[in-house]
Amino acid sequence: MRFLINPNRFNKFTDLILMPLIYLSIITLLAGLVFVFYLSPNDYLQGSTVRIMYIHVPSAWLALLTFFIMTLYSAAGLAFKIPFGFIVTSAVAPIGATFTLICLITGSFWGKPMWGTWWVWDARLTSVAILLFLYLIIIFLKNSFTNINVAEKITAVFVIVGSINLPIIKFSVDWWNTLHQPASISKLSSPSIDPSMLKPLILMTIAFTLIGLAIAIMRIKAEIYQRKHR
Amino acid sequence: MKTINSIIAIFQREFKITYRNFSDILSIFLFFLMGVMIFVFSIGANDDIFNQIGIGIIWTLILLTNNLTLRKFYQDDFNDGSLVIFHLSGLSYELIVLIKIIVNWLVIQIPFFILIPISGFLLNIEFFNIKIIFISFLLGSPITTCITSISGAMNLLNKKNFAIGSLIIMILSIPVIIFSVGLINTSEESMGAQINILMGIMFLFLAITPWVCSICIKLAIQEK
Repeated sequence: MRFLINPNRFNKFTDLILMPLIYLSIITLLAGLVFVFYLSPNDYLQGSTVRIMYIHVPSAWLALLTFFIMTLYSAAGLAFKIPFGFIVTSAVAPIGATFTLICLITGSFWGKPMWGTWWVWDARLTSVAILLFLYLIIIFLKNSFTNINVAEKITAVFVIVGSINLPIIKFSVDWWNTLHQPASISKLSSPSIDPSMLKPLILMTIAFTLIGLAIAIMRIKAEIYQRKHR
Repeated sequence: MKTINSIIAIFQREFKITYRNFSDILSIFLFFLMGVMIFVFSIGANDDIFNQIGIGIIWTLILLTNNLTLRKFYQDDFNDGSLVIFHLSGLSYELIVLIKIIVNWLVIQIPFFILIPISGFLLNIEFFNIKIIFISFLLGSPITTCITSISGAMNLLNKKNFAIGSLIIMILSIPVIIFSVGLINTSEESMGAQINILMGIMFLFLAITPWVCSICIKLAIQEK
């Protein structure tokens, strides 16, 4: 497991798995898309718009997961003085911002036919919007220092402070009365979603996670290369 | 004993600087009153509307005035090396941060207890609502001071992007704003719960601020 904290071992390990990972992610994505468009039923109330869910839910999950990983690596970088933690944090932030943006945009496309508005000031929606702003501030903060050593440490501190938002997003649908529905697949043993819809959703989640992982690995490798040859 | 003496000395120094630079503080308060006026002009003088959104206006302006005080926290002391001198006199950075927070709360936030009723009368807010604003400000102002301190410590070496300090203040104070302004819309029974949440946020920030700020200040002094 040393490849998780050591840049050289990370490079060696990911040289092996990067190409298979890319092929695997493309195959899962194609299979997932086939399931989404041809092999899953229409919802009896929402009709065909339910298919937005298969993009919306995986990107929301990845937006949260990315921030969680960033928090872990920032804490490790500050506490144990592991420089690789800062590399991961700065490389992964734009990916998380993109997934949050995808989540918000698909959510508003879904909200217009179903709720009648593009946007409501609901707890879940607002907290995800705050997550997007957090990601943007992290990116800007990293670029606003001339000294890279200061920039990455200050950013790590901000990531840890900003991670207070994560449980608020996760539990906002349970704590407040929101328009957004609570999680449907929080309990895998008895999910409150039909198996014919659960199958494409899980496939798409796996595909999105693999794509995110592949992009993250490429960005981290580029970041390591950039720091070595500065 | 030596520690207590140096703490008292720092307090005296801070108050002396504030006293000699008093027009600076006064212009911050003038900004607040001008902001109330601008809100009145931009919305139009309508007492019913102001009664509802007055607390929102006042809290927004408190946040903006906090943005103005961002550079007063550590920047001057950092530039002329006073922070290092404080540290050499035997105080840890965490204690210095705590002293700075207390001083800034006394100097910048206490006068708002006079300004809030004045702006309340200007906006024709009911007496009961002014009382609620008072309670929320009493609990919320330590939080905003802590947030300003975090942002000020983070941006000590930042010479490229001046807006980011204000952005950090704004995004961290969203929960404060939500629960403070939420006080006015809740029923009598659930008001206690909201106040408890605000107090929870306050103690959380009082606990983490010295730690976060001292990390940033140490880093800035090392890399200067």
